[in-house]
Amino acid sequence: MAKKNHIPEVDIVVDEKAGVIREVQPETRLRSKKGHERRVNTTIYVILILMSIVWLCPFVFLVLQSFRGESGGQVAYVIPKQWTLDNYRFLFEGVAFSLKALVKDLPAIILTVITNAAGIAGMVAFLRRKPKNPFEEKSGNLKNALLVFGVLLVINVMRCVDSTNCDFVRWFMNTLTIALFCAVIQTIMVLSVSYTLSRMRFKGRKLIMNVVLVLGMFPGFLTMIVLYYLLKMMGLTQAGAVPGLILISCASSGMSYYISKGFFDTIPKSLDESARIDGATRFHVFLKIIMPMAKPIVIYTILMAFMGPWGDYVFASYVAFGHKASYNVAVGLYRWVNTNDYQGYFTRFCAGGVLVAIPITALFMALQKYYVEGVTGGAVKG
Amino acid sequence: MASVTLEHVKKIYDGGVVAVQDFNLEIRDKEFVVFVGPSGCGKSTTLRMVAGLEDISEGTLKIGDRVVNDVEPKDRDIAMVFQNYALYPHLSVYENMAFSLRLRHMDNEEIFRRVTQAAEILGITQYLGRKPKNLSGGQRQRVAIGRAIVREPQVFLMDEPLSNLDAKLRNQMRAEIILLRKRLDTTFIYVTHDQTEAMTLGDRIVIMKDGFIQQVGTPQEVFDTPKNLFVAGFIGSPQMNFLKARLVRSGNEYSVEVLGLKVALESEKCQKLAEKNVQTMDITLGVRPEHTTVRFSEDANTIKGTIAVNEMMGSELHLHVETADEGRVILRIPTIDLTPEQRAGLAGGNALHFTFASKVMHLFDPETEESLLF
Repeated sequence: MAKKNHIPEVDIVVDEKAGVIREVQPETRLRSKKGHERRVNTTIYVILILMSIVWLCPFVFLVLQSFRGESGGQVAYVIPKQWTLDNYRFLFEGVAFSLKALVKDLPAIILTVITNAAGIAGMVAFLRRKPKNPFEEKSGNLKNALLVFGVLLVINVMRCVDSTNCDFVRWFMNTLTIALFCAVIQTIMVLSVSYTLSRMRFKGRKLIMNVVLVLGMFPGFLTMIVLYYLLKMMGLTQAGAVPGLILISCASSGMSYYISKGFFDTIPKSLDESARIDGATRFHVFLKIIMPMAKPIVIYTILMAFMGPWGDYVFASYVAFGHKASYNVAVGLYRWVNTNDYQGYFTRFCAGGVLVAIPITALFMALQKYYVEGVTGGAVKG
Repeated sequence: MASVTLEHVKKIYDGGVVAVQDFNLEIRDKEFVVFVGPSGCGKSTTLRMVAGLEDISEGTLKIGDRVVNDVEPKDRDIAMVFQNYALYPHLSVYENMAFSLRLRHMDNEEIFRRVTQAAEILGITQYLGRKPKNLSGGQRQRVAIGRAIVREPQVFLMDEPLSNLDAKLRNQMRAEIILLRKRLDTTFIYVTHDQTEAMTLGDRIVIMKDGFIQQVGTPQEVFDTPKNLFVAGFIGSPQMNFLKARLVRSGNEYSVEVLGLKVALESEKCQKLAEKNVQTMDITLGVRPEHTTVRFSEDANTIKGTIAVNEMMGSELHLHVETADEGRVILRIPTIDLTPEQRAGLAGGNALHFTFASKVMHLFDPETEESLLF
């Protein structure tokens, strides 16, 4: 270390060994910089807190109203005078849960056996899986097995719930069914279309991409009437609204290829080429090379596909129009307050809203990390 | 193990750009062929056509006796090493190497045997459990090569495998590739833009430019008898000096006049020129920097110049010398023969005399850029 001579007036240090004079940041300025940073941060946080209050207000209001005991529509106060769970209790009135539904007739038995056998086999396979090579650590198996178990449980429970006499649960199940089917089908479609457009070169590729982009700019409502008549011809309205809505959501799903294509574009093409020389078919490449690398975008796609029908009101309301058993939650709840009895149903409406928000919030929080990665990852190259 | 034959192979891209023109080459079984040329010369495209990653617009490609124009890459029994390694990031080194074997449903023991054997050859046994992102550049390159080795392919393709490595590692890997080649004893096609790699690795070198093959030959052949100006300039470092000169014929004797110097050509060259019936003409004279000699006294056989730049390389000096006709000539002088006084005299700005013998001269037609001696 060189001996240093401090000359405080000019804030420099003489480094005798190196023979140079170095300028240093005076301490006072450092302190003021810190203070400046603090002031900026404080301002930013104050603004953010204010914004989040504005954002959160409706939710807090909704939750509090759902626990309100006194009847009536909107009231001039936020905190309920009388707390109760009656609103929630009402939602589940008349719901029955019977395991008999799993074995009530032959098709039901077959379905039960197949799903459970497949699920259990999957779980066992995961738990018993040995590492593929001696250099790999065994990991992730328990997590995968639990995931399979969870899915199996949801399927079985969904089938055991008898909602003939309970509107809310019925609507909830409708929504869940539509959303789950859409999540699976749409994800497969979107990812295949994106991969194709990202990797394959064929005549009309550019044209397809442009046409789809332009078509996507038209609001979906434009096609409402046509879609309704088409569905009606197939018998997929009113009583058949649930499959009808699945069809609507999935039919055009390939159009939302944009973000995942952007993500695939960032994966070097030489990986595909290398795998193809290694003996993989295009499908192998997609499944074994691209998919594991595209985890964030896969999860993002699933999430998007699930959320679309989950919060859908417009399409659901006219496809199922007038047929109570086919409503989804949004439509059903709205009908309660709109056509039944606003005064009596408002707090129940709020309770229903809270229950609808819970699964989607949980899903979002669990997958948030991937979601952000997926969006920003896809945004690198548009 | 197979030969690779390219007959009139042509690559035309959709936009009409012709990347490879009428490529004819027969690569013998177990031969190591290097495609070399500046970027955009079509060498990589040719390799990718052999691999099946690019369609062949015209011509036929045979691996062994089989025409493989329309055969999928996976069915061509080739392995390829990419410039950017193209390792599968989500798989461990072991699984990267085992990937192709698993696709062929090979049993686990055989996979284990092959992968560990390849890892041993390449010295990456201790990294088999790691992910590619935890490896250094050199190690990744080894994995990429290992992934190709385990396949035991008929043809081994390498697309600039060393260009992402630093200079020291590149030299080391180059030596390893030579050893590997001895060990595997199979057909190699290697693409590079680095002429040193081409010279050291190849049994034969294919020099390409703008989609055309310029010359095919052993490293010695392309160095000694470059077919045209491009090859002459491309092979050898520093680049060959090109001087304006005049070829004078008198009977069956030829001489070259350059920078006031008149050099009679040796009989072998005269014979070749006479056979082609070359008359007195202006030529481009090529002389390699290492074939020049510095003279410390002026005489009738020397050319006078001024040293512009003096590059000390350790074992040798590179002198950039300005001559009377304003051209620059690079001389490559081994330092071991120089006395300290002589070395001091070769500083920038000093005058200098140099010469070269007739046997090191390359004669080119300035119009066609072809060699007159080929």
